Amino acid sequence: MSARAISADDKIVVSGFRHFFDTADGPVQATGTLDIRIRAGEFVTLVGPSGCGKTTLLKAIAGFIRPTEGTITCDGKVIRGPGRDRGVVFQELAILPWRTVRRNIGHGLEIAGVAKAQRDETVRRLIALTGLAGFEDRYPHELSGGMKQRVAVARTWAADPDVILMDEPFAAVDAMTRLTLQEELARLCAATTKTVFFITHSVDEAVFLGDRVLVMTRWPGEIKARIDVPRRERGGRDWESFVADAEMQGIAEQVLRLVRAERGAAGAAKPSGAPT
Amino acid sequence: MTASTAAPALAPRGSGLVAAVMSALGGLKILLPFALLTAIWWAIKIEAQLSDQILVSPAAVWNAFIQLASHGVLAEYASTSLRMIGISTVISMAVGVPIGFAVGVNRTAAHALEGFLRFLQSISGIAWLPLAIIWFGFSQTTTLVIVIYSLIVPIIFNTMVGVRAIPENYALALRSLGAGRLRLVTDVYLPGALPSIVVGLRLGMGYGWRALIAAEMLVRQGGLGDLIFGARTFNQIDRIITGMICIGCLYIIIDRLIVQPIENLTVARWGLLRK
Repeated sequence: MSARAISADDKIVVSGFRHFFDTADGPVQATGTLDIRIRAGEFVTLVGPSGCGKTTLLKAIAGFIRPTEGTITCDGKVIRGPGRDRGVVFQELAILPWRTVRRNIGHGLEIAGVAKAQRDETVRRLIALTGLAGFEDRYPHELSGGMKQRVAVARTWAADPDVILMDEPFAAVDAMTRLTLQEELARLCAATTKTVFFITHSVDEAVFLGDRVLVMTRWPGEIKARIDVPRRERGGRDWESFVADAEMQGIAEQVLRLVRAERGAAGAAKPSGAPT
Repeated sequence: MTASTAAPALAPRGSGLVAAVMSALGGLKILLPFALLTAIWWAIKIEAQLSDQILVSPAAVWNAFIQLASHGVLAEYASTSLRMIGISTVISMAVGVPIGFAVGVNRTAAHALEGFLRFLQSISGIAWLPLAIIWFGFSQTTTLVIVIYSLIVPIIFNTMVGVRAIPENYALALRSLGAGRLRLVTDVYLPGALPSIVVGLRLGMGYGWRALIAAEMLVRQGGLGDLIFGARTFNQIDRIITGMICIGCLYIIIDRLIVQPIENLTVARWGLLRK
Protein backbone atom coordinates (compact mmCIF):
# COMPACT_ATOMS: atom_id res chain seq x y z
CA MET A 1 0.00 0.00 0.00
CA SER A 2 1.40 3.34 -1.00
CA ALA A 3 0.53 6.93 -0.26
CA ARG A 4 -3.14 7.80 -0.46
CA ALA A 5 -4.73 11.07 -1.37
CA ILE A 6 -5.87 13.25 1.52
CA SER A 7 -9.43 12.32 2.27
CA ALA A 8 -12.14 13.58 4.55
CA ASP A 9 -12.08 10.56 6.80
CA ASP A 10 -8.43 11.10 7.77
CA LYS A 11 -8.43 11.44 11.54
CA ILE A 12 -4.76 12.01 12.29
CA VAL A 13 -2.43 13.44 9.68
CA VAL A 14 1.30 13.61 10.35
CA SER A 15 3.07 15.55 7.65
CA GLY A 16 6.76 16.31 7.39
CA PHE A 17 7.22 15.54 11.07
CA ARG A 18 10.78 15.47 12.34
CA HIS A 19 11.87 15.93 15.93
CA PHE A 20 15.03 16.94 17.77
CA PHE A 21 15.50 16.96 21.53
CA ASP A 22 17.44 19.78 23.12
CA THR A 23 20.24 18.47 25.30
CA ALA A 24 23.25 19.98 26.99
CA ASP A 25 25.33 18.84 23.98
CA GLY A 26 22.99 20.49 21.51
CA PRO A 27 20.03 19.06 19.61
CA VAL A 28 19.77 15.28 19.26
CA GLN A 29 17.70 13.89 16.42
CA ALA A 30 14.84 11.70 17.63
CA THR A 31 13.10 10.74 14.40
CA GLY A 32 13.51 10.86 10.64
CA THR A 33 10.91 12.62 8.50
CA LEU A 34 7.52 11.00 8.94
CA ASP A 35 4.29 11.21 6.92
CA ILE A 36 1.39 9.18 8.25
CA ARG A 37 -2.36 9.26 7.78
CA ILE A 38 -4.70 7.43 10.10
CA ARG A 39 -8.34 7.09 9.04
CA ALA A 40 -11.19 7.43 11.49
CA GLY A 41 -11.98 4.08 13.07
CA GLU A 42 -8.74 2.52 11.88
CA PHE A 43 -6.43 0.49 14.12
CA VAL A 44 -2.87 1.27 13.06
CA THR A 45 0.08 -0.48 14.63
CA LEU A 46 3.65 0.74 14.41
CA VAL A 47 6.59 -1.65 14.77
CA GLY A 48 10.20 -0.65 14.82
CA PRO A 49 13.48 -1.31 16.59
CA SER A 50 13.95 0.31 19.98
CA GLY A 51 15.28 3.84 19.88
CA CYS A 52 13.90 4.52 16.39
CA GLY A 53 11.63 7.32 17.63
CA LYS A 54 8.27 5.52 17.96
CA THR A 55 7.49 6.98 21.36
CA THR A 56 8.52 10.47 20.26
CA LEU A 57 5.97 10.29 17.45
CA LEU A 58 3.26 9.10 19.83
CA LYS A 59 4.05 11.84 22.32
CA ALA A 60 3.81 14.42 19.57
CA ILE A 61 0.40 13.11 18.49
CA ALA A 62 -0.66 13.16 22.15
CA GLY A 63 0.48 16.80 22.29
CA PHE A 64 3.08 16.28 25.01
CA ILE A 65 5.84 17.62 22.75
CA ARG A 66 5.83 20.20 19.97
CA PRO A 67 7.26 18.95 16.67
CA THR A 68 10.55 20.56 15.69
CA GLU A 69 9.50 20.30 12.04
CA GLY A 70 6.22 19.55 10.30
CA THR A 71 2.68 19.47 11.61
CA ILE A 72 0.31 16.98 13.11
CA THR A 73 -3.42 17.49 12.80
CA CYS A 74 -6.41 15.82 14.36
CA ASP A 75 -9.68 16.36 12.48
CA GLY A 76 -7.85 18.97 10.41
CA LYS A 77 -6.84 21.04 13.43
CA VAL A 78 -3.18 21.40 14.36
CA ILE A 79 -2.36 19.68 17.65
CA ARG A 80 -0.99 22.16 20.18
CA GLY A 81 -1.26 20.22 23.41
CA PRO A 82 -2.86 17.24 25.07
CA GLY A 83 -6.63 16.99 24.90
CA ARG A 84 -9.57 14.89 25.89
CA ASP A 85 -10.06 13.83 22.26
CA ARG A 86 -6.80 11.83 22.37
CA GLY A 87 -6.44 9.29 25.18
CA VAL A 88 -3.11 7.69 26.01
CA VAL A 89 -2.32 4.28 27.49
CA PHE A 90 1.25 4.06 28.74
CA GLN A 91 3.44 1.02 29.18
CA GLU A 92 4.45 2.19 32.64
CA LEU A 93 1.31 1.97 34.69
CA ALA A 94 0.12 5.53 34.84
CA ILE A 95 -2.96 4.75 36.89
CA LEU A 96 -2.92 6.52 40.24
CA PRO A 97 -1.97 4.30 43.22
CA TRP A 98 -4.06 6.34 45.66
CA ARG A 99 -7.29 5.80 43.76
CA THR A 100 -9.36 2.63 43.72
CA VAL A 101 -10.05 0.82 40.46
CA ARG A 102 -13.45 2.48 40.26
CA ARG A 103 -12.12 5.98 40.87
CA ASN A 104 -9.25 5.51 38.42
CA ILE A 105 -11.56 4.39 35.65
CA GLY A 106 -14.00 7.22 36.33
CA HIS A 107 -11.27 9.86 36.58
CA GLY A 108 -11.66 11.26 33.06
CA LEU A 109 -15.42 11.59 33.52
CA GLU A 110 -14.88 13.23 36.91
CA ILE A 111 -12.56 15.79 35.29
CA ALA A 112 -15.11 16.38 32.54
CA GLY A 113 -17.72 17.11 35.22
CA VAL A 114 -20.02 14.24 34.25
CA ALA A 115 -22.81 13.63 36.77
CA LYS A 116 -22.14 10.85 39.26
CA ALA A 117 -25.00 8.60 38.16
CA GLN A 118 -23.88 8.67 34.55
CA ARG A 119 -20.25 8.23 35.60
CA ASP A 120 -21.08 5.16 37.67
CA GLU A 121 -22.98 3.71 34.75
CA THR A 122 -20.03 4.11 32.34
CA VAL A 123 -17.57 2.78 34.91
CA ARG A 124 -19.76 -0.25 35.54
CA ARG A 125 -20.00 -0.98 31.82
CA LEU A 126 -16.23 -0.78 31.36
CA ILE A 127 -15.50 -2.85 34.44
CA ALA A 128 -17.70 -5.55 32.94
CA LEU A 129 -16.07 -5.20 29.49
CA THR A 130 -12.55 -5.47 30.90
CA GLY A 131 -13.27 -8.29 33.35
CA LEU A 132 -12.55 -6.21 36.46
CA ALA A 133 -15.81 -7.02 38.24
CA GLY A 134 -15.22 -7.70 41.92
CA PHE A 135 -12.11 -5.51 42.02
CA GLU A 136 -13.84 -2.12 41.95
CA ASP A 137 -12.72 -1.06 45.39
CA ARG A 138 -9.18 -2.39 45.28
CA TYR A 139 -6.12 -0.17 45.09
CA PRO A 140 -3.70 -0.73 42.19
CA HIS A 141 -1.02 -2.26 44.43
CA GLU A 142 -3.47 -5.04 45.27
CA LEU A 143 -3.82 -6.00 41.59
CA SER A 144 -1.72 -8.13 39.22
CA GLY A 145 0.13 -6.51 36.32
CA GLY A 146 -2.53 -7.61 33.85
CA MET A 147 -5.31 -6.22 36.03
CA LYS A 148 -3.55 -2.87 36.34
CA GLN A 149 -3.18 -2.67 32.59
CA ARG A 150 -6.91 -3.40 32.20
CA VAL A 151 -7.60 -0.48 34.55
CA ALA A 152 -5.41 1.80 32.43
CA VAL A 153 -7.21 0.72 29.25
CA ALA A 154 -10.64 1.06 30.87
CA ARG A 155 -9.79 4.53 32.20
CA THR A 156 -8.90 5.71 28.70
CA TRP A 157 -12.02 4.15 27.13
CA ALA A 158 -14.28 5.56 29.85
CA ALA A 159 -13.25 9.11 28.96
CA ASP A 160 -14.51 8.32 25.45
CA PRO A 161 -11.83 9.97 23.30
CA ASP A 162 -12.01 9.67 19.50
CA VAL A 163 -8.39 8.63 19.26
CA ILE A 164 -6.52 6.24 21.52
CA LEU A 165 -2.74 6.19 21.56
CA MET A 166 -1.09 3.15 23.09
CA ASP A 167 2.62 2.93 23.79
CA GLU A 168 3.61 -0.73 24.20
CA PRO A 169 0.84 -1.15 26.77
CA PHE A 170 1.33 -4.90 27.22
CA ALA A 171 5.13 -5.06 27.23
CA ALA A 172 5.38 -5.29 31.00
CA VAL A 173 2.95 -8.20 31.56
CA ASP A 174 3.72 -11.91 31.31
CA ALA A 175 3.35 -13.67 27.97
CA MET A 176 0.16 -15.61 28.73
CA THR A 177 -1.63 -12.59 30.17
CA ARG A 178 -0.50 -10.58 27.18
CA LEU A 179 -2.33 -12.93 24.76
CA THR A 180 -5.53 -12.51 26.75
CA LEU A 181 -5.17 -8.73 26.94
CA GLN A 182 -4.61 -8.53 23.17
CA GLU A 183 -7.77 -10.55 22.50
CA GLU A 184 -9.69 -8.37 24.93
CA LEU A 185 -8.41 -5.22 23.25
CA ALA A 186 -9.50 -6.51 19.82
CA ARG A 187 -12.95 -7.24 21.26
CA LEU A 188 -13.14 -3.84 22.97
CA CYS A 189 -12.21 -2.08 19.71
CA ALA A 190 -14.88 -4.04 17.86
CA ALA A 191 -17.47 -3.05 20.45
CA THR A 192 -16.61 0.65 20.19
CA THR A 193 -15.49 2.76 17.25
CA LYS A 194 -12.16 4.26 18.08
CA THR A 195 -9.20 5.30 16.04
CA VAL A 196 -6.24 3.53 17.58
CA PHE A 197 -2.55 4.13 17.13
CA PHE A 198 -0.62 1.35 18.79
CA ILE A 199 3.16 1.15 19.22
CA THR A 200 4.87 -2.17 19.75
CA HIS A 201 8.05 -4.02 19.02
CA SER A 202 6.23 -7.33 18.74
CA VAL A 203 5.55 -8.33 15.13
CA ASP A 204 2.79 -10.78 16.04
CA GLU A 205 1.06 -8.21 18.21
CA ALA A 206 1.21 -5.64 15.41
CA VAL A 207 -0.33 -7.99 12.83
CA PHE A 208 -2.84 -9.52 15.26
CA LEU A 209 -4.26 -6.15 16.31
CA GLY A 210 -3.69 -3.82 13.37
CA ASP A 211 -5.88 -3.05 10.38
CA ARG A 212 -2.66 -1.64 9.01
CA VAL A 213 0.93 -2.19 10.14
CA LEU A 214 3.58 0.50 9.74
CA VAL A 215 7.20 -0.63 9.90
CA MET A 216 9.79 1.90 10.97
CA THR A 217 13.47 1.91 10.08
CA ARG A 218 16.19 2.04 12.71
CA TRP A 219 17.14 5.43 14.15
CA PRO A 220 16.48 8.02 12.92
CA GLY A 221 13.22 6.28 12.15
CA GLU A 222 11.27 6.68 8.93
CA ILE A 223 8.34 4.66 7.67
CA LYS A 224 9.72 1.80 5.66
CA ALA A 225 6.58 -0.14 4.80
CA ARG A 226 2.81 0.13 5.19
CA ILE A 227 1.02 -3.21 5.14
CA ASP A 228 -2.74 -3.72 5.12
CA VAL A 229 -4.07 -6.57 7.20
CA PRO A 230 -7.34 -7.82 5.70
CA ARG A 231 -9.92 -8.67 8.33
CA ARG A 232 -12.78 -11.02 7.50
CA GLU A 233 -14.71 -9.65 10.41
CA ARG A 234 -14.06 -7.05 13.04
CA GLY A 235 -13.60 -8.41 16.52
CA GLY A 236 -13.98 -12.04 17.54
CA ARG A 237 -10.26 -12.51 16.98
CA ASP A 238 -8.39 -15.12 18.93
CA TRP A 239 -4.80 -16.30 18.86
CA GLU A 240 -5.62 -19.91 17.99
CA SER A 241 -7.32 -19.01 14.71
CA PHE A 242 -4.72 -16.30 14.01
CA VAL A 243 -1.92 -18.84 14.25
CA ALA A 244 -3.85 -21.28 12.03
CA ASP A 245 -4.56 -18.63 9.35
CA ALA A 246 -2.05 -18.98 6.53
CA GLU A 247 -2.71 -15.48 5.17
CA MET A 248 -2.10 -13.87 8.57
CA GLN A 249 1.04 -15.90 9.08
CA GLY A 250 2.24 -14.80 5.64
CA ILE A 251 1.78 -11.15 6.62
CA ALA A 252 3.45 -11.71 9.97
CA GLU A 253 6.42 -13.30 8.22
CA GLN A 254 6.64 -10.41 5.78
CA VAL A 255 6.65 -7.88 8.63
CA LEU A 256 9.15 -9.95 10.57
CA ARG A 257 11.60 -9.90 7.65
CA LEU A 258 11.25 -6.12 7.32
CA VAL A 259 11.87 -5.61 11.04
CA ARG A 260 14.73 -8.11 11.21
CA ALA A 261 16.50 -6.31 8.38
CA GLU A 262 16.51 -3.21 10.60
CA ARG A 263 17.62 -5.07 13.70
CA GLY A 264 20.61 -6.45 11.80
CA ALA A 265 21.69 -3.00 10.72
CA ALA A 266 21.03 -1.31 14.05
CA GLY A 267 23.63 -0.42 16.62
CA ALA A 268 26.51 1.17 14.78
CA ALA A 269 24.59 4.19 13.56
CA LYS A 270 22.85 4.95 16.80
CA PRO A 271 24.55 7.31 19.22
CA SER A 272 24.44 6.32 22.86
CA GLY A 273 22.53 9.45 23.73
CA ALA A 274 19.62 8.77 21.41
CA PRO A 275 16.29 8.46 23.20
CA THR A 276 14.45 5.19 23.31
CA MET B 1 12.56 -13.41 72.50
CA THR B 2 10.83 -16.59 73.64
CA ALA B 3 7.53 -14.81 73.40
CA SER B 4 7.91 -14.09 69.72
CA THR B 5 9.05 -17.59 68.78
CA ALA B 6 6.37 -19.28 70.83
CA ALA B 7 3.54 -17.16 69.48
CA PRO B 8 2.99 -18.88 66.10
CA ALA B 9 2.97 -22.35 67.68
CA LEU B 10 0.42 -21.34 70.25
CA ALA B 11 -1.79 -19.32 67.98
CA PRO B 12 -3.75 -22.17 66.34
CA ARG B 13 -4.83 -23.53 69.72
CA GLY B 14 -5.60 -19.87 70.35
CA SER B 15 -7.71 -19.05 73.33
CA GLY B 16 -8.29 -15.35 73.77
CA LEU B 17 -6.34 -15.47 77.00
CA VAL B 18 -3.16 -16.70 75.31
CA ALA B 19 -3.42 -13.92 72.75
CA ALA B 20 -3.92 -11.34 75.49
CA VAL B 21 -0.88 -12.58 77.41
CA MET B 22 1.20 -12.55 74.24
CA SER B 23 0.27 -8.99 73.39
CA ALA B 24 0.96 -7.94 76.99
CA LEU B 25 4.38 -9.55 76.71
CA GLY B 26 4.89 -7.68 73.43
CA GLY B 27 4.16 -4.44 75.27
CA LEU B 28 6.56 -5.36 78.04
CA LYS B 29 9.32 -5.89 75.51
CA ILE B 30 9.24 -2.17 74.72
CA LEU B 31 9.59 -1.29 78.41
CA LEU B 32 12.40 -3.76 79.05
CA PRO B 33 15.31 -1.49 77.99
CA PHE B 34 13.95 1.28 80.23
CA ALA B 35 13.72 -1.11 83.18
CA LEU B 36 17.24 -2.33 82.50
CA LEU B 37 18.64 1.19 82.35
CA THR B 38 16.90 2.11 85.60
CA ALA B 39 18.27 -1.01 87.29
CA ILE B 40 21.84 -0.24 86.16
CA TRP B 41 21.45 3.38 87.25
CA TRP B 42 20.22 2.30 90.68
CA ALA B 43 22.97 -0.31 91.05
CA ILE B 44 25.66 2.25 90.20
CA LYS B 45 24.19 4.73 92.68
CA ILE B 46 24.28 2.14 95.48
CA GLU B 47 27.46 0.25 94.62
CA ALA B 48 29.60 3.34 93.95
CA GLN B 49 28.04 5.12 96.90
CA LEU B 50 27.59 8.27 94.85
CA SER B 51 26.47 11.35 96.74
CA ASP B 52 23.27 13.11 95.71
CA GLN B 53 25.49 15.92 94.39
CA ILE B 54 26.60 13.57 91.56
CA LEU B 55 23.65 11.27 90.95
CA VAL B 56 20.34 10.78 92.68
CA SER B 57 18.42 7.51 92.89
CA PRO B 58 15.44 6.71 90.66
CA ALA B 59 13.29 6.98 93.77
CA ALA B 60 14.41 10.58 94.30
CA VAL B 61 13.57 11.37 90.68
CA TRP B 62 10.12 9.84 91.18
CA ASN B 63 9.64 12.03 94.25
CA ALA B 64 10.75 15.11 92.31
CA PHE B 65 8.34 14.18 89.55
CA ILE B 66 5.45 13.87 92.01
CA GLN B 67 6.38 17.17 93.61
CA LEU B 68 6.74 19.04 90.30
CA ALA B 69 3.57 17.50 88.92
CA SER B 70 1.44 18.14 91.99
CA HIS B 71 2.35 21.81 92.15
CA GLY B 72 1.54 22.26 88.45
CA VAL B 73 5.12 23.35 87.77
CA LEU B 74 5.78 20.52 85.33
CA ALA B 75 2.54 21.12 83.44
CA GLU B 76 3.44 24.80 83.18
CA TYR B 77 6.86 24.16 81.67
CA ALA B 78 5.70 21.25 79.49
CA SER B 79 2.75 23.19 78.09
CA THR B 80 5.09 26.03 77.10
CA SER B 81 7.23 23.56 75.14
CA LEU B 82 4.21 21.86 73.57
CA ARG B 83 2.69 25.19 72.59
CA MET B 84 5.95 26.25 70.95
CA ILE B 85 6.32 23.02 68.95
CA GLY B 86 2.63 23.20 68.00
CA ILE B 87 2.81 26.77 66.71
CA SER B 88 6.06 26.03 64.89
CA THR B 89 4.63 22.92 63.23
CA VAL B 90 1.55 24.74 61.96
CA ILE B 91 3.58 27.66 60.59
CA SER B 92 6.21 25.36 59.06
CA MET B 93 3.63 23.22 57.29
CA ALA B 94 1.65 26.23 56.07
CA VAL B 95 4.76 27.87 54.64
CA GLY B 96 7.02 24.90 53.88
CA VAL B 97 4.64 22.70 51.89
CA PRO B 98 3.74 25.39 49.31
CA ILE B 99 7.41 26.34 48.95
CA GLY B 100 8.43 22.70 48.53
CA PHE B 101 5.68 22.32 45.96
CA ALA B 102 6.65 25.36 43.96
CA VAL B 103 10.25 24.21 43.89
CA GLY B 104 9.35 20.58 43.15
CA VAL B 105 7.28 21.23 40.04
CA ASN B 106 9.92 23.50 38.57
CA ARG B 107 12.85 21.39 37.45
CA THR B 108 15.25 24.32 37.18
CA ALA B 109 14.36 25.64 40.62
CA ALA B 110 14.66 22.16 42.13
CA HIS B 111 18.14 21.69 40.70
CA ALA B 112 19.19 25.16 41.82
CA LEU B 113 17.88 24.76 45.37
CA GLU B 114 18.76 21.15 46.15
CA GLY B 115 22.34 21.90 47.14
CA PHE B 116 21.29 24.99 49.06
CA LEU B 117 18.72 23.04 51.09
CA ARG B 118 21.28 20.35 51.89
CA PHE B 119 23.64 23.09 53.04
CA LEU B 120 20.96 24.54 55.32
CA GLN B 121 20.14 21.08 56.65
CA SER B 122 23.72 20.72 57.80
CA ILE B 123 23.54 23.93 59.84
CA SER B 124 21.47 22.89 62.82
CA GLY B 125 18.94 25.25 64.32
CA ILE B 126 21.12 25.65 67.39
CA ALA B 127 23.90 27.11 65.25
CA TRP B 128 21.54 29.97 64.44
CA LEU B 129 21.02 30.78 68.15
CA PRO B 130 23.81 33.37 68.48
CA LEU B 131 22.47 35.36 65.53
CA ALA B 132 18.86 34.94 66.62
CA ILE B 133 19.66 36.17 70.13
CA ILE B 134 21.43 39.23 68.71
CA TRP B 135 18.44 39.98 66.46
CA PHE B 136 15.50 39.03 68.68
CA GLY B 137 16.97 39.02 72.19
CA PHE B 138 16.25 36.45 74.88
CA SER B 139 12.63 36.14 73.80
CA GLN B 140 10.21 33.47 72.69
CA THR B 141 10.56 34.93 69.20
CA THR B 142 14.14 33.67 69.18
CA THR B 143 12.98 30.19 70.21
CA LEU B 144 10.24 30.20 67.58
CA VAL B 145 12.63 31.25 64.84
CA ILE B 146 15.06 28.47 65.72
CA VAL B 147 12.37 25.80 65.92
CA ILE B 148 10.60 26.87 62.73
CA TYR B 149 13.93 26.88 60.92
CA SER B 150 14.66 23.32 62.15
CA LEU B 151 11.21 22.14 61.13
CA ILE B 152 10.74 23.89 57.84
CA VAL B 153 13.92 22.83 56.05
CA PRO B 154 13.13 19.08 56.13
CA ILE B 155 9.50 19.82 55.26
CA ILE B 156 10.48 21.88 52.21
CA PHE B 157 13.10 19.34 51.20
CA ASN B 158 10.87 16.29 51.51
CA THR B 159 7.91 17.98 49.84
CA MET B 160 10.18 18.84 46.93
CA VAL B 161 11.55 15.30 46.76
CA GLY B 162 8.02 13.87 46.99
CA VAL B 163 6.73 16.01 44.15
CA ARG B 164 9.71 15.18 41.98
CA ALA B 165 9.39 11.43 42.62
CA ILE B 166 5.91 11.33 41.09
CA PRO B 167 6.20 9.62 37.68
CA GLU B 168 5.84 12.13 34.85
CA ASN B 169 3.32 9.83 33.17
CA TYR B 170 0.78 10.35 35.96
CA ALA B 171 0.50 13.99 35.01
CA LEU B 172 0.66 13.31 31.27
CA ALA B 173 -2.10 10.69 31.47
CA LEU B 174 -4.27 13.11 33.39
CA ARG B 175 -3.66 15.92 30.92
CA SER B 176 -4.87 13.54 28.21
CA LEU B 177 -8.02 13.08 30.26
CA GLY B 178 -8.50 16.83 30.07
CA ALA B 179 -7.04 17.85 33.44
CA GLY B 180 -6.00 21.47 34.00
CA ARG B 181 -3.29 22.77 36.28
CA LEU B 182 -5.42 22.83 39.44
CA ARG B 183 -6.59 19.26 38.80
CA LEU B 184 -2.99 18.11 38.50
CA VAL B 185 -2.21 19.64 41.88
CA THR B 186 -5.22 18.20 43.70
CA ASP B 187 -5.33 14.80 41.99
CA VAL B 188 -1.67 14.04 41.28
CA TYR B 189 0.88 16.19 43.05
CA LEU B 190 -0.72 16.58 46.47
CA PRO B 191 -1.70 12.93 47.06
CA GLY B 192 1.49 11.76 45.38
CA ALA B 193 3.72 13.87 47.59
CA LEU B 194 1.76 13.33 50.80
CA PRO B 195 3.71 10.33 52.13
CA SER B 196 6.95 12.22 51.59
CA ILE B 197 5.51 15.34 53.21
CA VAL B 198 4.61 13.25 56.27
CA VAL B 199 8.17 11.91 56.38
CA GLY B 200 9.42 15.50 56.27
CA LEU B 201 7.02 16.47 59.04
CA ARG B 202 8.20 13.59 61.18
CA LEU B 203 11.87 14.38 60.66
CA GLY B 204 11.22 18.08 61.15
CA MET B 205 9.39 17.57 64.42
CA GLY B 206 12.29 15.47 65.67
CA TYR B 207 14.81 18.19 64.78
CA GLY B 208 12.43 20.90 65.96
CA TRP B 209 11.89 19.29 69.36
CA ARG B 210 15.63 19.00 69.98
CA ALA B 211 16.25 22.56 68.82
CA LEU B 212 13.39 23.75 71.03
CA ILE B 213 14.90 22.28 74.19
CA ALA B 214 18.33 23.69 73.34
CA ALA B 215 16.91 27.13 72.60
CA GLU B 216 14.88 27.13 75.81
CA MET B 217 18.06 26.41 77.78
CA LEU B 218 19.68 29.56 76.46
CA VAL B 219 16.68 31.82 76.11
CA ARG B 220 15.24 30.94 79.55
CA GLN B 221 11.66 31.99 78.82
CA GLY B 222 9.92 28.84 80.04
CA GLY B 223 9.72 25.35 78.61
CA LEU B 224 11.31 22.06 79.63
CA GLY B 225 14.76 23.24 78.50
CA ASP B 226 14.46 26.19 80.86
CA LEU B 227 13.34 23.83 83.65
CA ILE B 228 16.36 21.54 83.44
CA PHE B 229 18.85 24.33 82.89
CA GLY B 230 17.45 26.28 85.82
CA ALA B 231 17.65 23.21 88.04
CA ARG B 232 21.37 23.01 87.26
CA THR B 233 21.95 26.31 89.09
CA PHE B 234 20.93 24.71 92.37
CA ASN B 235 22.33 21.29 91.50
CA GLN B 236 18.84 19.78 91.52
CA ILE B 237 19.81 16.58 89.75
CA ASP B 238 16.42 15.01 90.53
CA ARG B 239 14.67 17.81 88.66
CA ILE B 240 17.10 17.67 85.74
CA ILE B 241 16.50 13.97 85.20
CA THR B 242 12.74 14.37 85.65
CA GLY B 243 12.78 17.02 82.93
CA MET B 244 14.87 14.87 80.63
CA ILE B 245 12.49 11.95 80.99
CA CYS B 246 9.55 14.24 80.26
CA ILE B 247 11.28 15.55 77.12
CA GLY B 248 11.67 11.99 75.84
CA CYS B 249 8.20 10.81 76.84
CA LEU B 250 6.42 13.83 75.36
CA TYR B 251 8.19 13.36 72.04
CA ILE B 252 7.26 9.68 71.88
CA ILE B 253 3.65 10.59 72.60
CA ILE B 254 3.61 13.27 69.89
CA ASP B 255 5.23 10.93 67.38
CA ARG B 256 3.23 7.79 68.14
CA LEU B 257 -0.13 9.42 68.66
CA ILE B 258 -0.10 12.01 65.90
CA VAL B 259 2.57 11.65 63.26
CA GLN B 260 2.91 7.90 62.92
CA PRO B 261 -0.82 7.21 62.45
CA ILE B 262 -0.88 9.68 59.54
CA GLU B 263 2.13 8.00 58.00
CA ASN B 264 0.72 4.52 58.42
CA LEU B 265 -2.56 5.57 56.88
CA THR B 266 -1.05 6.95 53.69
CA VAL B 267 1.58 4.26 53.27
CA ALA B 268 -0.65 1.28 54.02
CA ARG B 269 -3.32 2.47 51.63
CA TRP B 270 -1.21 3.45 48.72
CA GLY B 271 1.32 0.64 49.12
CA LEU B 272 3.13 1.37 45.93
CA LEU B 273 4.43 4.75 46.91
CA ARG B 274 7.30 3.61 49.07
CA LYS B 275 9.36 0.86 47.59
